Amino acid sequence: MSDDATLSAFRLADSFLPDGSHTASYGLEQFVQADRVTDADELEALLETYLRRQVGPADLVALRAAHAGAGDGDLDAVLRADRRLAATTLAAEFRESATAAGGRLLDLQCAAREAPLLERYARRVDARDAPGMHPAVLGAATAVAGVGEREACLLCCHALVTGLLGAAQRLLALGHTDAQRLLVALRPAIRAAVDDSTTRALADMTPFTPLVDVLTAEHERADRRLFTS
Amino acid sequence: MATDAPGEGEPGDREDEGAPHPAFAGYAAEPVPQAAVGSPGKDGVLELRFERGERGTALSHDYATVPFHVSGTLGHDPHPDAETVFVQSPTGGVAQGDRHDVTVRVDADAVAHVSTQSAMKVQTMRANYAAAETRLSVGPGGHLDYVPEPTILHEGARYHASLDLDLAAGASAVLGEVLVPGRLARGERFDFERCLSQVRATGPDGLLFEDATHLAPGDDAGGPGPTAPGVLGEFAVYGTLFVVAPDAALSSDDLHDVVAAACADAPNPARGGATRLPNGAGVAVRVLGDRGETVSAGLHSAWSAARRELLGAPAPAGRKY
Repeated sequence: MSDDATLSAFRLADSFLPDGSHTASYGLEQFVQADRVTDADELEALLETYLRRQVGPADLVALRAAHAGAGDGDLDAVLRADRRLAATTLAAEFRESATAAGGRLLDLQCAAREAPLLERYARRVDARDAPGMHPAVLGAATAVAGVGEREACLLCCHALVTGLLGAAQRLLALGHTDAQRLLVALRPAIRAAVDDSTTRALADMTPFTPLVDVLTAEHERADRRLFTS
Repeated sequence: MATDAPGEGEPGDREDEGAPHPAFAGYAAEPVPQAAVGSPGKDGVLELRFERGERGTALSHDYATVPFHVSGTLGHDPHPDAETVFVQSPTGGVAQGDRHDVTVRVDADAVAHVSTQSAMKVQTMRANYAAAETRLSVGPGGHLDYVPEPTILHEGARYHASLDLDLAAGASAVLGEVLVPGRLARGERFDFERCLSQVRATGPDGLLFEDATHLAPGDDAGGPGPTAPGVLGEFAVYGTLFVVAPDAALSSDDLHDVVAAACADAPNPARGGATRLPNGAGVAVRVLGDRGETVSAGLHSAWSAARRELLGAPAPAGRKY
């Protein structure tokens, strides 16, 4: 990768990036609320489930397809990946968080650099012709920035785990040292999730986290909540 | 229907049609050491077609080969125009090498309920796999309830199910599935090898949603297993109900309240919830529990509430004997 692409990757993986992902906990808040996650070990086990059962079999498959499409300048291929991921993401709050973060990332990228494909993509999302799911937007944005496909997948996992660890610090008494330890401990799960997504086609997305779905459904109706999901 | 015991006969010589999913490719290459794939009783075909007549819905076409059996319709649906078929099976369940092919067509304005008479046992397998392909279609203004009894996955079972639903404008459907991970009463629990059940729904504008249940307790390299946090956790039985009604204003909040209350009142632990499906397709309900009947009862409560909303009549009683 060029220096410019590497710097783009750093910028997109940084929690300084104002894509609003700090407002999403992807069900973690409800797991803490239900006393199902009370310490760093339980958090690590749940994050491994996210990576291996949701991100690898679904999010990264769409990210790769969008990355390949954007690399070919084929916006329709990006939109196909985007729509398919939304049709496969059944928890309503997950779709809302993913489209909110995707929309903001698309706006940020269009403002930060010259990118005709992303501008056309943003117009389709504004016209409600495509949902703008975060993994698909990230796939297109990384391709435009020259970040490789595998690096983009790793980046997506890193950003998700960092975001959820940040959420955990606010929900649990999780120290900074524990957060860094988990970020390193989850590397094998991240690599496995990325490997799992390599051979899958868009028609073969099989996310499977039923207990996350049920707790997210409870979170949708929770009276007091810190996070949007 | 052959048994699953390896026999002395000729190994299956039929070229298999190819695995329905990459995870089943390895199994597909294994010859079936008894009645071959495609032998009588191995390929079950079921076709049902419902039409709207002057006196309500009628079963206008039915074709069934072993292990399916249709002995006519039943008229006990609380909806006055609805028709009911309980599909029967004279066999002991699904064996390795079995391929089932089910087509249900509900024409315009017809209301049909298709279920099975009893739970479907997916037997122990040593070679190959079993698969079922189901295609459901509902014409304009029609409604289909496709809510079979639970699927029980015995030790070593390998099972692939794919279900496609296509809805015309103004049509609706309820799809239910309950997976029981073994003969729980004898302590068999997550001893099957692999189960992949895929659901895909389309409407006039294309894909509405898709869902997959993928459990592979036998695959240690596959990551967190069935009992991992966020997957099934401490629960064993998993049930899903899709209320697919793109043209109806269904409230996922109402169905959530119904199913959450049913789980809270259940005699043994269960947890369930409902959420809006993508593309305005309707509502998804998921229930996790310790026992099949608890999960079925949770789904039934949501099914009944949804049916009142869609058809003005509750779901038929769950009891079949």
